[in-house]
Amino acid sequence: MSNEVKENGVSRRTVLKGAAIGGAGLLGGGTLLSSCGSDEASGPVKFTARTNNETGLKIAQALADAYKAETGIDVTMQGSGDTNAFQDGISQYLQGTPDDAFQWMAGFRTNFRADQGLLVDLSENIANLGDQMPAGFVSGATNPSDGKQYIIPTTWYPWGLHYRKSTMKEIGLDPEGLYNLDDFMKLLEGTKKKGLIGYALGDKGGWEAMGTFSILNVRLNGYKYHIDLLNGRAKWTDQKTIDVFNQFAAMIPYMNDNVLDISWEGMRDLLLQKKCGAILMGSWWANDFKAKSQEDYDDLWIVPFPEINPEFARDTIDAPVDGVCAAANSGNPAGGAAFAEWCGSEAGMLAAQAAGDTSLYANSRLDSSGYDAFNKQKLAVIGEAKNVMNFLDRDCRNDFAGPIVGVQIQNFLKNPKDINKICEETQAAWDALPPLA
Amino acid sequence: MSGIVKDKKYRNRQKIKDAFISSFIGLFAIVWMVPILWTFWTSLRPYDDIIQKGVFSRPDTLNLKNYADAYRLMNIWEYLSNSFIVAIPAVFLTLFFGSLLAFVVTRYSFKFNLYLLLLFTAGNLLPVQLVYAPLFKMYIWVGDLVGNRNILYDSYLGVILIHVALQVGFATFVMSSYMKTIPKEISESAMVDGASVFRHYWNVILPLLRPPLAALSVLMTTWIYNEFFWAIVLIKSDNKRPITSALGRLQGEFVTDFNLLAAGAIMAALPTLIIFFVLKRQFVSGLTLGSTKG
Amino acid sequence: MSQSATKIRTRRRRAFTRKDIFTLSLFLGVPTFLHLFWVWIPALATIGLSFTYWNGVHLSDIKWAGLANYNTVFTASPQFYDALLNNAYWLLWFTFIATPLGVLLAYQVDRAIRGHKVYESVYYIPVVLSLAIIGIIWRFMLGPAGLVQVLLGNPGIEDAIPIFGNYSINTYVILSIASWRHIGYIMLLYLAGLKSVDASLREAAVIDGATEWQTFRKIVLPAMAPVNTIIIVITVIESLRAFDLIYILYGTSTGWPILGMLVFVNIYGQAASMLGAAYAVILFLLSIIPIVFYLRTVFKEDIK
Repeated sequence: MSNEVKENGVSRRTVLKGAAIGGAGLLGGGTLLSSCGSDEASGPVKFTARTNNETGLKIAQALADAYKAETGIDVTMQGSGDTNAFQDGISQYLQGTPDDAFQWMAGFRTNFRADQGLLVDLSENIANLGDQMPAGFVSGATNPSDGKQYIIPTTWYPWGLHYRKSTMKEIGLDPEGLYNLDDFMKLLEGTKKKGLIGYALGDKGGWEAMGTFSILNVRLNGYKYHIDLLNGRAKWTDQKTIDVFNQFAAMIPYMNDNVLDISWEGMRDLLLQKKCGAILMGSWWANDFKAKSQEDYDDLWIVPFPEINPEFARDTIDAPVDGVCAAANSGNPAGGAAFAEWCGSEAGMLAAQAAGDTSLYANSRLDSSGYDAFNKQKLAVIGEAKNVMNFLDRDCRNDFAGPIVGVQIQNFLKNPKDINKICEETQAAWDALPPLA
Repeated sequence: MSGIVKDKKYRNRQKIKDAFISSFIGLFAIVWMVPILWTFWTSLRPYDDIIQKGVFSRPDTLNLKNYADAYRLMNIWEYLSNSFIVAIPAVFLTLFFGSLLAFVVTRYSFKFNLYLLLLFTAGNLLPVQLVYAPLFKMYIWVGDLVGNRNILYDSYLGVILIHVALQVGFATFVMSSYMKTIPKEISESAMVDGASVFRHYWNVILPLLRPPLAALSVLMTTWIYNEFFWAIVLIKSDNKRPITSALGRLQGEFVTDFNLLAAGAIMAALPTLIIFFVLKRQFVSGLTLGSTKG
Repeated sequence: MSQSATKIRTRRRRAFTRKDIFTLSLFLGVPTFLHLFWVWIPALATIGLSFTYWNGVHLSDIKWAGLANYNTVFTASPQFYDALLNNAYWLLWFTFIATPLGVLLAYQVDRAIRGHKVYESVYYIPVVLSLAIIGIIWRFMLGPAGLVQVLLGNPGIEDAIPIFGNYSINTYVILSIASWRHIGYIMLLYLAGLKSVDASLREAAVIDGATEWQTFRKIVLPAMAPVNTIIIVITVIESLRAFDLIYILYGTSTGWPILGMLVFVNIYGQAASMLGAAYAVILFLLSIIPIVFYLRTVFKEDIK
């Protein structure tokens, strides 16, 4: 498992280079995908967008409209409702009468369902995309158990420190030059002195703080240790793991005291309302800044999380890949697959971009020269890393990530003095997991 | 003579005490209403008004615009009608089945009557968490068997049937308790007249069951209307969701627009509030029938 | 008496035509079939599945696990004891605070104190609201920018005082919200029972100089024995079955774990494991006690 992930990470880094270099030459050469028009894929398509957010729904609807305009095939888009609830019920959703295509996440969450035969094999569609789909994303979308792809990567985003340039300017700090932990602690101290929250965190959803845990772990102990830990090859009771929690605890004085009361939306709003210094999160919500105003969007910036242990510097990042899957039990799986493929094509990406999607695209024809400053910075942030992670809850077993690690991080935030007990319990819970069928 | 004086004194003291108790309960009644009144107040004010001037500012405008917006943007009408599409047949079937069972177990003395009643009543009290995983699988299998997966799963019918299956125990229990108060002679004469079982039920018993039927229908409509768990688990399509389970989605989608959400919540609460105020007598007697047994 | 009963029975037997038997089996059969297949068979299946490893997709993947899931629940689950404790808090709070308050309220309202008609309705309103709506209403009260936060002088999210994620108060907050509903429910149930207590008994006691508390304890409470049982059972069952409110307030993040939520998260959620079935069975075993108690009380005469 670790090998796969590592391999993905390394090769995905090469992707970036490919996207940056190859893009210019290919730009303008985009043609309609011929494969979309195959006979079996002609019926109307139903599409579930994994969002209940206004901006997200608008983008999903734009995809549906553009697909219809281009192929004449009707796409009925519906929002997933509460995204956490949708993710919880995915197994039942896919066993029932799912929509033909749905937005989903690469990694364990896809591969596990693929192994159950619930997803359509999209290897052929990936092949159709050809050089549009960089090799790194292909390997990122590959299920290690059978070497096939079950998701068409569309977008990805880095988990980095986000802040507002104006806020930092007001308090006379420049996080751009921030490199190591000392700089970071100075920043937190400085923001706190100004009466702001230094490091805003929410963990109401039970997953948000996984990002902080992961980044601290890879900064302290390196990428390999982190992946080993998530997959049972390293121990939670190891001093190295305990150190991660200790480091986390050292940041608590600079956090808001209602961490368990707010979700990622609360973190975003704190930043939007200039109430905090920095947040560590994936950049997917930058769309919401743009929806608020161009000014707010221009004010947003991202830097990599600082170095803690010089041995590992800033060599790892969480940069999960989102994409579109086709459900095997749907009414029109072939149509779903074709639509998924189209979403990963240049045409699909352009349609999303036109609707205000500020994501980084997993398509080599959308080169970085078309990106705005923030997106270029996102690429630079990812580019600095050697290893790319998929985020904790996609890098390990689902029955371990949410019900155990997520819960234990909440328990830690509840009572930061309990670190030893928490680590022991987590290890015991891992040891008690059934064999992965 | 002294007894009356004592009595009077006592009454006076009691009067003061009662006034005290009444105002105390009254005070709490106000506290009780605050959350609802606050939600209602929020629903009447425009969003921008609050943002600009603060939550406690004197409002410039109070109107029903949030309601109009909520109605339009949240598809409230569609969700509300889904609620009734589920609740009305579910209540009807529950009462129908409940009356059949109550009729048989109280008018005929089969050996298994008691066990049947025990089974249904216990089933009504089971934790629902025990049921849903296999039930979901069953719905899919039944769908595959008849060649239409949406026959029970992601369909109104599936949600209606699980409501009926769970609630029929309560309905049976209430109606059988009630029927024990109906003189047996009525049934006897029907049987002597040679009426068939069906006519005995339809022409003799059913009309007598009117009071518990009325009470139960009011009570169960609110219960089933308010329930949201089964629709979350068994209904996939957003446009088939009843209002109470759709509220979860609306909450996420309109998370920043308090006032719109408040209007949506009030509209969702309206049907049960109306039922309660208009049919309060039935409502109360429904509860009593069930709990105090005759 | 018994003679006439036999007589009726024989007469009835004779009256059964083939059509009647058909009607009767239909009357009994259809609801019983529905109830068995929709409630009891899935419940038994869950009990069986709690002894297996399964991810809930293909039947062929079911593997015998013996007591492994239970072992995990008792020895290696980070939330089991927290959940048990929270259910216990719920039960204690309802038993010693919410239910007595409901009874007290019913007693006062029944004495027709001034404004009793209004009070009856006011306290009952929360009971007719769906918990989905109650969740939203209380977010308006307690969440960031909610009324309580504004009253405390913290209108923004940055300084909203932690409530649902604040473990020194959230138990009380949740139980208070739950009581907001429970008290009215108990009040109405009890009120109905009180109406049937002979008023002259109470008056007599008062004239004899009994205090109100004595009257309540010596006259009212004993007369209400059947209602008391039902209220106790409802209190216990509601405390064990608690789920909806927590789902609305916390989602499935188990920020405030209870047994019902652990079942849901593990059996339905992403985890898809039969650990959830084991939790369900534990919940079932705990519920059996009040269910049997209830059945014995309400069917006492019939069982004899």
